[in-house]
Amino acid sequence: MAAFGAALTVVLTVGVAVVVTVWLRTAIDPACLVASERVPSLGGGEPEVHAWSRYHVRYYAMALLFLAFDMEMVFMYPWAVVFVEEGLVALVEMLMFIAILLLGILYAWRERALEWA
Amino acid sequence: MGLISRLAASADVPVFPVVGIGGRTAARSLATLGGIRVVDHPRAAVLMLLVGRPTRSLLRPLLAVHDQLSGPRCTVWWRTGRDGGDELVAALPAVEVLPVGDASALRRVFTELVNGARASDPPALDDIETTPWRGVGPYGQGGSGMTGGTPYGRPLVGRAPDPDGLQLDQLPLQVGPFFGPFPPGLVLHLEVQGDVVRHASLGENPFTRWPGDAPLGPLESGVFFDAVAEVAPVAGLELARARHHLRWASDALRLHGLCSPARRLAALAERIAPGDAELVVRIARQLGRSRSLASVMRGVGVVDPERHGLRQGIVARSTGVPEDARLSDPAYRPLGFEPIVHEGGDAWARFRQRLDEAAQALILAERAGERIRAPGPAVEGPRGALAAGAPSPSGQLLGILPELLVDQEWGDALTIVTSLDLDVEEAAHEVPAEASA
Amino acid sequence: MTWSSPLAGVLLVGAVLVAGAFVVVVVDRAWGSIAAHQRVRVAALVAGPARDGALLLLTRPSTTERPDAQAWVLAPALVVAMAAAVVAAVPLSPGIAVADVDDGIVLIGAAFALVMVGVYLHGWSANSPMPLTGGYRFVALALSYEMPLALVLIAAALPAESLSVGAIVASQHDIWNVVRQPLGLPLYLVVGLGLATWGPLNMADGADLAGGTTAEVSGVSRLSWELARRSVLVAVAVVGAAVFLGGWQGPLLPGWLWMAVKTLVLVAVLTGLGHRVARIRLERFVVVAWAVLIPVALVDVFVSGALAL
Repeated sequence: MAAFGAALTVVLTVGVAVVVTVWLRTAIDPACLVASERVPSLGGGEPEVHAWSRYHVRYYAMALLFLAFDMEMVFMYPWAVVFVEEGLVALVEMLMFIAILLLGILYAWRERALEWA
Repeated sequence: MGLISRLAASADVPVFPVVGIGGRTAARSLATLGGIRVVDHPRAAVLMLLVGRPTRSLLRPLLAVHDQLSGPRCTVWWRTGRDGGDELVAALPAVEVLPVGDASALRRVFTELVNGARASDPPALDDIETTPWRGVGPYGQGGSGMTGGTPYGRPLVGRAPDPDGLQLDQLPLQVGPFFGPFPPGLVLHLEVQGDVVRHASLGENPFTRWPGDAPLGPLESGVFFDAVAEVAPVAGLELARARHHLRWASDALRLHGLCSPARRLAALAERIAPGDAELVVRIARQLGRSRSLASVMRGVGVVDPERHGLRQGIVARSTGVPEDARLSDPAYRPLGFEPIVHEGGDAWARFRQRLDEAAQALILAERAGERIRAPGPAVEGPRGALAAGAPSPSGQLLGILPELLVDQEWGDALTIVTSLDLDVEEAAHEVPAEASA
Repeated sequence: MTWSSPLAGVLLVGAVLVAGAFVVVVVDRAWGSIAAHQRVRVAALVAGPARDGALLLLTRPSTTERPDAQAWVLAPALVVAMAAAVVAAVPLSPGIAVADVDDGIVLIGAAFALVMVGVYLHGWSANSPMPLTGGYRFVALALSYEMPLALVLIAAALPAESLSVGAIVASQHDIWNVVRQPLGLPLYLVVGLGLATWGPLNMADGADLAGGTTAEVSGVSRLSWELARRSVLVAVAVVGAAVFLGGWQGPLLPGWLWMAVKTLVLVAVLTGLGHRVARIRLERFVVVAWAVLIPVALVDVFVSGALAL
């Protein structure tokens, strides 16, 4: 538990340090940028619209596949710890689990869900 | 502050080159200058380096790019070629005219900026919101239409059909004349859905010459244009061809993330000599074997000679059409010239074609010795044949660019633009008529 | 084994990240000079990062018309913090482990996943087309490499019967994982390039996007972002050294020196790849990641599992 506390301390301190550094430098010499200095750079072109939009995330099918495998990853973590104790049974069971999920990848590949990424 | 200023003053000078008329050749030499770092977007730069003469349609983008430089900033002008452009450049707040190719002068200006001895340039454009903030609610929301008014000054994007059968947002982009990866002066109006280009159209050519304007040039491929009407040494032409293709290969490698091999090719291009034929052959073979480059460029931007109307030129030769103006040139007959041809017409074929032609050009230059070429038959320029009265090959390539870009992913679209080796200034240039020699 | 004083732990991790980022820049530029067939000028190389960092400190930070200012500042901070979490979970020496948690591999996987969020936020916050596209393209890449990353780390955890990095290092006392699981380290290095969006897998900051997510940042914000990317590369190398190259174990030299040498070797390999391999086409790489890298990683897991029994 103390180890997690140490990790959390490190994370928060480093994050805050970076934010404070950036904020301090910006506070020392605040940049008051006029309108023309804030235009998104496109090589001299004038943007017509905001860039924020409903961006066509073409890889949405792959993202769904990723969700399935993410859950599989979660199950593999504790399996790795008890694997040697449990022996061959654990290996075979995980093999079966993975095989079922690999069928999922095969299906996605054939349905060209990966090619839109 | 003193230590930081002193450290910063000895850093590499970040320069954003902005190329006007007659500036492309000089801008190339930037890559080989020591202590100068060429950046591809203005916010990373301290100096905006205007090379050549600006035109009227380049003025507004020039001012926009100047304001996008982060402070401290300064504009430096390398005046190449012909005089003129002072009244346009006067719109910039402060311009330092420096000798072309002088790295120490650039460093002097940079050091003055960093130390505070020179004040940073104020913005060139006024502090006016180009689209005022409308809308009904306090955050610009509300009003007619689903997206309401114009939140924070700009409207949100509209929708358009997608090949999936969905209605998705389509972003209109004007990728301007000074976009880093593009050839200088290329303006594309794109409609982008996600990262796929759905529509593309060329903007007006900013180098178009109107009656009363000063003539264009000097072009990067000016040697070939001059050879249409004057005598020219064959070795000089072939050396210029090799240099051109090596410079292009350096740009292509930099686009694909291989910045250091690109630097090597750029340095080699500047000091190329006929005796380097073996080295270039070796480099061409090495790059031709690169599997990562092949996988990036293979199948991208396939050009069909019939559909796109390309009967001659280097792009046509990469599709398998063995047309080369040097075949009908009597000066090349004793050199044993055979046109190099590749199959496929995709970006990879064009890449290998240019490298192989660079190697071949050096071999021809070695064999040619002191041979002179008389004006008369068409000159084979680095992009295609130049004949008096015929349109320049760059104009033709610019014409086929928009249809090649449709439905291409962004990375592939840039590969296509680079693989066509466009020169927007040359596209606006007329091939000189034959001199009465 | 944990560090007694939290402040000392934070300082150690911070020092590792900053020194590591410095070394990454120097090694990267050295490789650049070699690949460009130029003379490697050591003094200029070593002074380079300090000079460029000083220039970035002097330059004015820029902004766009309507960005998400808070997310823009937090994004590099998140990425550096996650790299710090990863370095904290790795024992740098037999007596020094800032936060050697019992499930270090899970912590590392989670931290690397949050790096994805940080990179995406950095691209999205600017409200500009090029950074936005960089962010979205990077997410496609990131979703594809998460699986191989988790699988190779799990494979390394199998012989150790524990998810803690200290236990994994201890399990390599007679043979290193790079020998015992030959598929692990190459896969991990490919994934590592993607984690830091480096070299061939630089989808976020590529030249085809004219700088990508860095196109609208300058000054100290740019400095913090460059530090963030390089600190992720350092974290990748540190974990690789611990999990595959035996960590602090080695004859003669003290443990921390071995860690430093092994991390340096991995940093050199990662940055060297950046100068040799062209940037991938995203669609092709996603297909390769799902159809080739994941099966190879699974083979790695099951073969090393069978060997561990």
